[in-house]
Amino acid sequence: MVRLMRQLQFQIFILPILIVYTLFSIYPLIKSFVLSFTNFDGYTKAYDFVGLKNYDLIFSDDAIVSGMSYTLIFAFFSTMLITALAIPLALILDQRFYTSKLHRAIFFFPSIPSGLLLAYIWGFILAPISSGVFNKVLKELFNLGPQPWLSDPLLAKLSTIVVAAWASTGWHAVLYLAFLQSIPKDYYEAAAIDGANRWQQIRHITIPLLAPAMTISVMLLLTGGLKVFEIPFALTRGGPGFETHTITQVIVLRGISETQYGLASAMSIVFFLIVLLIAYFQVTFMQKREERNR
Amino acid sequence: MKKFLWFGSALLLCLSMVLTACRGGNNAESSGSVNNTEGSKESSDKKVKLSILSWNNEKEMTPVMEAFTKKYPNISFDFQTAPPVKDYIAKLQTMLLSDSATDIFIIAAENRNEVIDGGYALDITDQPFMSAMVDGNKPMLSKNGKTYAFTQTGWAGGLFYNKELFEKAGIAEIPNTWDEFIQDCLKLKAAGIIPLYDNMQDVTTIHNSLFANLQLSKDKDIDAKIFAGETTFSNTWTEVFKIWKKDLIDNKILTPDMIGLSGDQIVNEFALGNVAMFPGGPWNINTLEQTNPDLKFDMMPVPGPDPSGGNYFAGAPGVGFAVNAKTKYKDEALLFLQFLASPEGLKDFETGTGALITANGYEGKVHPAMMNAYKNGLMAGKVYLPMVSWPRHQEALRSQFVVSMQDLAVGKVKPEEVTQALDKKFKEMENK
Repeated sequence: MVRLMRQLQFQIFILPILIVYTLFSIYPLIKSFVLSFTNFDGYTKAYDFVGLKNYDLIFSDDAIVSGMSYTLIFAFFSTMLITALAIPLALILDQRFYTSKLHRAIFFFPSIPSGLLLAYIWGFILAPISSGVFNKVLKELFNLGPQPWLSDPLLAKLSTIVVAAWASTGWHAVLYLAFLQSIPKDYYEAAAIDGANRWQQIRHITIPLLAPAMTISVMLLLTGGLKVFEIPFALTRGGPGFETHTITQVIVLRGISETQYGLASAMSIVFFLIVLLIAYFQVTFMQKREERNR
Repeated sequence: MKKFLWFGSALLLCLSMVLTACRGGNNAESSGSVNNTEGSKESSDKKVKLSILSWNNEKEMTPVMEAFTKKYPNISFDFQTAPPVKDYIAKLQTMLLSDSATDIFIIAAENRNEVIDGGYALDITDQPFMSAMVDGNKPMLSKNGKTYAFTQTGWAGGLFYNKELFEKAGIAEIPNTWDEFIQDCLKLKAAGIIPLYDNMQDVTTIHNSLFANLQLSKDKDIDAKIFAGETTFSNTWTEVFKIWKKDLIDNKILTPDMIGLSGDQIVNEFALGNVAMFPGGPWNINTLEQTNPDLKFDMMPVPGPDPSGGNYFAGAPGVGFAVNAKTKYKDEALLFLQFLASPEGLKDFETGTGALITANGYEGKVHPAMMNAYKNGLMAGKVYLPMVSWPRHQEALRSQFVVSMQDLAVGKVKPEEVTQALDKKFKEMENK
């Protein structure tokens, strides 16, 4: 009994966050699952059970197929780009120089404002007309005509990925920086005595010891990339056509705009399972890599 | 097991407490009911806080709310706003579903079916103040002969044009036919002036006007026939997309890169004299005048290809104020609508929002640039907006329209495929 009371004393502290998590994550998920088998329209509380009809419709929906492919492209390439930029940036920010703290703050800053706000600002920079900031720079420097950064299918995809990388690289660099600073300096000193140059130290000490940070960072980037909404929506509104529609945008479109909540719920459930599966394989794979490096 | 039971009970208890707290409470500062709306002597004895959800912001609504509160000091407001269109619709929808909707909310073309069919709005057909609402505004906010919201406004939009740039390109007067319009656009291009910006993010004014000129002018029930299955989008809209593609896209008057422009960028470019025309409405005038007080501009309709069809503006009744069917303050809410319909309320609403007032017996202020749209469009019934005319699935069809139109602009599909996609979406929505 005493043991039970002692355990309860600790578990009671979990209760508030458990309630919040249940209310805002578990309950909506269960509710979405139930609604995915209905023709709920989002307005009338009376709805009918339609079985698997909504799940059957998902893969014949052009928008969801297009949204799925763009979202996977976005998640994969933004993760690659941000990781490729964040690690070298973290190595630079780890050096001691006069303005190192200021530089850390500057690179971290873009992750503070909301994605929507950043994307609206980038909308002016990438405006496809000659008065767009980026097009003006290209004209001045290379005498190039205005480029359709947000309306050409390929350039629009590229622009959204680059803006996402600009917004998140600093945050992930700071994450790597935290892990970098926990690597004992002795390793580098021993390697230097053994004659290892800077590149060899990075290759054989820094990168392997950054593996846990990479697992976390890549998981956050992949799941965040798969759930992306704000940046592509604010930059291109999903256009041209369905070219930069994300899965989340399609879910909002089918659910709110078209009042097909049942179908949107089915999409959400399938999407949840896809994200879960990708995140599971990514974490398993990268954790095995960490173990190999030990 | 005991531990689990205890833990489960505590969780349930807390959940029920949170849910109870989340339930929308009423705003009463005292309870009671009022059964008359005329003068409402009884209502003056009790204090009531009326909740309103509007897509006009607080600054715009303040004059009319202040004047009302001055007249009825016992009634105050809990004002809430959400920007149009999607944010507002999503917020109202959440409120309606969770039984926490405000006493007064607005109904727009985009959510009228769902709100009316769901029984969320009070039938106000026979309220005395409804005599101020012009008949032309009623169909959008009515169903089966009953009207569920009051609107005192309407809007008309067309193409804003820069008079100086037209002169510079040698265009002496505005075009009256579609061919003249295209020729004028080409003249502007030849003079090194960008003729027109349109970001193709909505069912465009140009498409509206072309359809109205080619189809609506011949058959005012054409949309009803599409939705009754008597004809199709393919039969009625293909010609519109063919003309749009051939004359505007192929001549590079409209270019795919414009899809990347935001509405604000287009207005700024026009205000700065960088483009000769853009499709807009009365809501753009303040920005244009503030950005460039010297700008000389006016508005014209998009001329149609069929000379016998007449020229149409985009336009529709304004959004309507509705009373929540479940409100506890029905009399006070109706009193507010009555005030909105009074000359004093109409003037205050006009002052705050700058909207075009179309109420019976009220002569509103109209900006000189809007006079053509107001007289020859709105008041002459020469306005068309599919979102109002389509009886259902407006949002789904609009989204499909925009996606397919953009695909047409970038050369991914043909005009026929655009209308086939609309027919497919329509069928999908009918069978959902």
